[in-house]
Order: sequence, then structure tokens, then C-alpha cells
Amino acid sequence: MAAVSLIPGEEVPSDRLPKAKKGTLTLGPGLRHILPSTISATTPGVLQVDHKKAAVWLEYPNGRYQPSVGDLVVAQIHHSTSEAYSCIVTPHTPFALLGQLAFEGANKKTRPQLKAGDMVYARVSRASKYEETELECVSASTGKADGMGPLKGGMVFDVSPSFARRLMMGNGKGGVIVLDEVGEKARFEVAVGRNGRLWLDSGSVAVTIGIGRLLQQTDEEGWDVEAQKKAVRKLVKDLGG
Amino acid sequence: MGPEINHHPLSRADGSVSFSNNLYTILAAVNGPVEVQRRDELPEEAAIEVNIRPVAGVGGPRERWLESVVTAVLRSVLLVHMHPRTLIQITLQITKLPTQKLRGAWKDVSVLPALVNAAFLALADGGLPMQSTVTAELFTISEDGEIHASSAEGDLSACTGAFALAYNQHGEMLMNESAGNFSLEAWEKAGDTAAKFC
Repeated sequence: MAAVSLIPGEEVPSDRLPKAKKGTLTLGPGLRHILPSTISATTPGVLQVDHKKAAVWLEYPNGRYQPSVGDLVVAQIHHSTSEAYSCIVTPHTPFALLGQLAFEGANKKTRPQLKAGDMVYARVSRASKYEETELECVSASTGKADGMGPLKGGMVFDVSPSFARRLMMGNGKGGVIVLDEVGEKARFEVAVGRNGRLWLDSGSVAVTIGIGRLLQQTDEEGWDVEAQKKAVRKLVKDLGG
Repeated sequence: MGPEINHHPLSRADGSVSFSNNLYTILAAVNGPVEVQRRDELPEEAAIEVNIRPVAGVGGPRERWLESVVTAVLRSVLLVHMHPRTLIQITLQITKLPTQKLRGAWKDVSVLPALVNAAFLALADGGLPMQSTVTAELFTISEDGEIHASSAEGDLSACTGAFALAYNQHGEMLMNESAGNFSLEAWEKAGDTAAKFC
């Protein structure tokens, strides 16, 4: 089926909507429900449908990140108060709060001491248009960190939120194979934040910057898989294998 | 020849567009939803701030009036209730003026369609949520009562009245500003032509 592009205010044709088994349809970003039964677009974008989860949403490359519950983000500590750290998730927006005790195995005596400017990998635990955003570095149900927590060293790169989403899809589904290709040749650690921030750490500064720049260029110039492979080969050659 | 649109020329703004029609070229940049000053904060909606900068200088009362018209049009299109207590900031920089010098109400009315179109496209580029599209156009009525759309400079000097009208995709009128001498029938005729055009 050909992809459907919508402009703001246009209705989603009803033959495109997935049939929900339980009778509920989940609306993702870019769509709104006008009672009783119209679904219309709020931004320009390409309609995406997931029949298994009975979800429908719009993909759009630009735009600011809006926090939603369950997203993993790379946040920077701005300042701390007695109860929580105030973190920056997106520039020029109100701070997100990260509780002082929201880390694995933390109590008043053994919690991480984070300073202004430190980076953390956290999950959004609360986000609504009326309240302040809240983050946590521990999974509320299991009590384990699952890879979240302070990020030491390395460097942060800015990409667009939609590119970060493609990177997080995994298994090459987002069409970004840069990390897999480079992973065969170099060792590095990476944390991808859905807010468009990427943390990279590798043994040497040249490798870190090289990989980071490559990812930024894939985003800015919209490279396909072939162009990405070529660029990775060139990078590996420049860095001397 | 239709208007020329250049998408996303500014990489650091959330949304941007460069729009040129027969008369003006406007560079529009949008940022939002961002943090708002306490004094401008609205409890249930997003505040909309429009800044219009003329080709030379910062602008005076004329630009402030243009800003109020554009803000009113955009407020009826943006879904402000989705982001309460935030700010949507729109900057419109006029980069090219028509070669012919226009005066007074003619000058104000002729720039409005370009400003509204540029602002809308920049908002769409930035992914800001909107409930419909907006199309604005300048119509001139000549001495023999004919309505012309997408007026070029020649039309403007020869016409008796000019209308800046904006409609959304469902045919609802969103902006109506005019200059010159014209009758009520002429205005209605212009309105109908515009509704079909937009």
C-alpha cells in the first residue's frame, strides 16, 4: 500500500485504520481525535500503522522533542536541590526533576553525588502538559538500573529526535547501520537519548569524534545504507584501521 | 508563476521557511513550545509571540499592528491547548521588498499574505500542532471591477482596492484586511473568488 501523507487538519481515511481486537485504537504523535469518530492530523507527516498493536501515528523529521512516559533520554544536571536534581532534557524548556533517591540501591547514605554539568541516562517516569516532567534512573517495577545512571567521560552529540528514534529501533529496522558497521572495527559505548542527544565513549578521542560526526552527517544529509557503509569504510581507513 | 518556498533553511530553529511571492520575500523561523516568561504565561494555552522585522531597522507601530493581525490568524489555527504555559515564538524577517514604493494602507495590506503564508509554513516545518491549514492571498480589484489574484506590482498601482484574505482548507475565512475604495458587492465578489482560490 502506498504511503499516505497528510497535512494539518486532514482526516485519516477510515480504510487505513487498523482493526483493533480489543476495540481500542491507540493514537500516537501527530494525530488527534475529534468526537465522535474523526481522526485528523495535527502536523504534516507520513501515516504509519501498526496492525499488531492497533496503533497509528505520523512520522515527521523535524520538530522539538516532547517528553512522553517510558522514553529513555540523555539529560544534563543543571543544579541540585535537597530533594531532586533539576535536569535539562530539551534546551529552553522547564527543567525535569530527577529524584535524589531514584537510583539503584540508593538510600540517604549511599546515593550518587552528581554535580552540575554531569550527564545521566534516565527514563521519563512522568510527563503531562500540566505537570513538570519527572525522570528516574531505576526501573520502578524491578528496582534495577537497566543501563541507566550517570554517564562518565565521553562526548555528547546532538541529532534530531526522529533520527534518535530510528537509532533506537534496533536490528537495522531504522535504516541506520553505522553503529553496527563501526562496532566490528572499534570498541565504544553508546547511549541514545530519544530527546536527540547521543552519548559516545571510546578509547580514543579521534574515534569518539569520528563516530559522532558520522552519525550527525547521516542525520543531516539523509544517507541511505550504501552511503553509510562507504562513510564507515572511509572513517576506518582514516583512523588507521 | 507561483510562490517559491525553501524548506528548513535554518538548522538551529525548530522550524523555518523562506517564502517569496511576486512582491515580498519573507524568512520565517519558529521556536516552540519553549519556556515562557512568568508575565506572559497563560494557564490553559500556549502564548504566541510574533516578531516582524522589516528590511531595515527594528520596526515601529506599523510592525506591531501587523504582528497583532498575524497573531490573531495563527491563534485560530494552532492547537494552543496542547501545550499550556509554554511559548510559541515566531520571527518573520522581510528580506525583499517590491521595487515600487507603496504607501500607507496599501503597504500594510500587501505584505500580510506573505507574512501569514510564511508563518504557517514555518510552523508546519517545525511540527507544531495545528488544526487546519491556512492559505493567504492578495487580491486586487481594478477599475472595471475585475478581481485579480497573486497580484504583481503593476496590478497594485493600477487598482482601486486591495484585499488580503486568508482561508483554511475547509473554506472558513481567517483574515480579512483591505485598502482602497470599493463597494460591498466588490468585497463579496472578492471573498468568493478568494474562497475558491484558497
